[in-house]
Amino acid sequence: MSRARSLAALRASLPFLACAALLAAAGALHADMRRRVAAPPVDELLYYPSDAMVRQASLGYETAASDVAWLRGIQYYGEHRLTDQKYAMIGHVMSIVTDLDPRFESPYVFGAFVLAQELKNPEQGLRLLAKGRRANPESWRLAFETGFLHYVCRHDYATAARYFVRASRLPDHPDYVDRFAAFSSQRAGEVGMATLLWRRVLLTGNEYMQDVARRELARLGEEAP
Amino acid sequence: MSRVLAIARTTLLEVVRERMVLTLALFGVGLVGASQVLSPLALGEGRKVVTDFGLAGSSMLATLLGVFLGSSLLHKELDRRTIYAVMAKPIRRSEFLLGKFAGLWATTAFLLVGMTAIVFLLLLVVYHQAPWVILGSMALSLAELLVIVAIVVLFSSFTTPALAAFFAIATVVAGHFAEDLHYFGLQGSALLSAVTGGVYWLLPHLDLFNARGLVVHGLAVDPARIGFASAYAGLYAAAALTAASAIFERREFR
Amino acid sequence: MKRTEDLTTQAGPRTGRAGAIREVAPLALLAMENLTKVYRDPMTLKPFTAVDGISLSLARGEIFGLLGPNGAGKTTTIKIVLGLARATSGVVLLEGRDPSDPAARRRLGYLPENPCFYDHLTPEEYLDLVGSLFGIRRDVRRRRAGELLERLGLGSHARKPLRKFSKGMTQRLGLAQALINQPNLLVLDEPMSGLDPIGRAEVKQLLRDERERGTTVLLSSHVLAETESICDRVGILSSGRLIDVGSVPGLLSTGVREWEIAAESLPESLSARFRSAGHRVERVGPRWVVRVTDGQALQEAIAAMTRETVFIHSVEPRRQTLEDHFMRALAAAAGPKP
Repeated sequence: MSRARSLAALRASLPFLACAALLAAAGALHADMRRRVAAPPVDELLYYPSDAMVRQASLGYETAASDVAWLRGIQYYGEHRLTDQKYAMIGHVMSIVTDLDPRFESPYVFGAFVLAQELKNPEQGLRLLAKGRRANPESWRLAFETGFLHYVCRHDYATAARYFVRASRLPDHPDYVDRFAAFSSQRAGEVGMATLLWRRVLLTGNEYMQDVARRELARLGEEAP
Repeated sequence: MSRVLAIARTTLLEVVRERMVLTLALFGVGLVGASQVLSPLALGEGRKVVTDFGLAGSSMLATLLGVFLGSSLLHKELDRRTIYAVMAKPIRRSEFLLGKFAGLWATTAFLLVGMTAIVFLLLLVVYHQAPWVILGSMALSLAELLVIVAIVVLFSSFTTPALAAFFAIATVVAGHFAEDLHYFGLQGSALLSAVTGGVYWLLPHLDLFNARGLVVHGLAVDPARIGFASAYAGLYAAAALTAASAIFERREFR
Repeated sequence: MKRTEDLTTQAGPRTGRAGAIREVAPLALLAMENLTKVYRDPMTLKPFTAVDGISLSLARGEIFGLLGPNGAGKTTTIKIVLGLARATSGVVLLEGRDPSDPAARRRLGYLPENPCFYDHLTPEEYLDLVGSLFGIRRDVRRRRAGELLERLGLGSHARKPLRKFSKGMTQRLGLAQALINQPNLLVLDEPMSGLDPIGRAEVKQLLRDERERGTTVLLSSHVLAETESICDRVGILSSGRLIDVGSVPGLLSTGVREWEIAAESLPESLSARFRSAGHRVERVGPRWVVRVTDGQALQEAIAAMTRETVFIHSVEPRRQTLEDHFMRALAAAAGPKP
């Protein structure tokens, strides 16, 4: 009797087993396809929507769409950081993120950082930060980061000092902004100033920026007399 | 008024006892949970992700609930003939319709408020923040639901459930493009401007109710804006319901 | 002022245009004057007359049966009375008011055909809803709901969701919701549908009780035997027209179909004579039964049997049933076959 019941149970579960097997096979096939046909990095995100249409397409959910784009952008950066360290589309993605949510500051900062440090294109980074400052004129952070880029990438200490001072006059800034404004105004030593700036990134930046900060601090340590 | 409330209460009970509300509520909770799971990937912007997904999700789910339940609101009554016993009572057709609208709006409002509460609790417990400003966004979303539910009721008063859902969604989508349409019309000829102006006037201006971009960054919604948007929502919903009543009044029950 | 006839007291040829009956009674609870409803096919725009010039009025405290085959216009007429449909022409007044006025329906109770109620509610909740639509105070409607559910045998099911109700139970609930406002006019569409014989008997008694209370009942039914036993008056609809109306005794008194003479024994010669005269003669159990169709033949048959000293056990008129009258009226309305 129990054998008959077992057979009946097996027969009843056959459709589910077949379904699971088919799904597993489909998943394995897709994984195999991905291994065989690796898309060149430049094709990635090429079809990411252009600025003009993206806001309309969000239908009132722009900030959530900006988060989706932000997560995508971070994923893109993370993948290339582990492979070829080429981040050609980062500017485009961060531009989309900030078009969707102009008040979202981290994409301006991270995008400008990557453009300046990794793509060695500080001008594009500064343009992104300028876009952020136009949308958020009261943001101390964007003014400060602009000063940071001018200092460490363009070595334009006078312009950097102006931005640090501007940041120190904007509301809700932390204490270290005042210190940097003071140091830069006093024209403290370049290496010393740069070290302080990178140490600040080590404390306040995200994990990717912290990695770059460690690398730069190591380089500055070698250069120090 | 008591007749309207009686129908509203019955509609609310019907919807709540249906599984769809439970399904959507669970989906909503899942969405908030998933956004929390994703938050470590956001490089320090986890709070924003949770808030954005939570507010967007609750608004979207409440809208979908309103559209899909509302589109079959009257059709179901006519199809199953439950309306015959009710309309033979001393109740006007407009009162019946208003009661249905009120019950449906209350249902979507419960879902929206519930999900917003979950987002608030999550932010409080995980991120140690009490973002009361999201209540401003919630208030605007509740007003937006008045408009959307009224539009659904209007379409359901004269067409099939599938078409009513389609037209309602199309109107909601068009409502988000209303400002762009208006701007586009102003750039063209006088005729184009007049046509687009007319369409703009008819469409619901749903951008009015979107303050998610403010509250996610901790900025409060101006109470005057909430007042103005609520007044607009009230007027627009009243217009849609008046049209719906006029259409429903002429409908014969076969 | 049009000349009218009180058809409740008169048996004989009716006047008026062919196939239509006109009747007006004083103090009508429900009055219809030349009521017409024409539907148009939405695709072809072809007109279809569902109700054609019905004039009828119901007095207080009577039970009126609206009879007719499927598609005769009964339900359409009822819908117009309730304000669920609009008449194309003619007048309907409920206690002097147009049915589209909600106030006209304040003392109206309605049971639809094959009723369907909100199945997510319990009977208690549904009656509470109906009571609140009538503006009945909460404590009063709760008390009445309890009483009605008990009266209709649903007391133990008061908290059961309606989706679990059988057809008969739903029918009973339908009666309960029709009675909650203690109506002056009860409109019942197929009230016996779905009920077993006991249920039907209970409903008939309920209707009689309501009539005692002074309630007027308009009931539409296919079940003519039930209608015959409960209605004071009936109206017969065919193709949207009221082809006959009157009291049940009045309609049937003119229709004595035949007389049955039952005898203990019958000589063969007499039997043959009756048969040759065209009368039916048959043995029914221990007796002989002779069926004659007219009064003259009856007198002659009795005389013949008396002369032969046949013991006549009984003489009974076999009257028309309502069904017989109904079929005859329909046939007459249809006209001679080509």
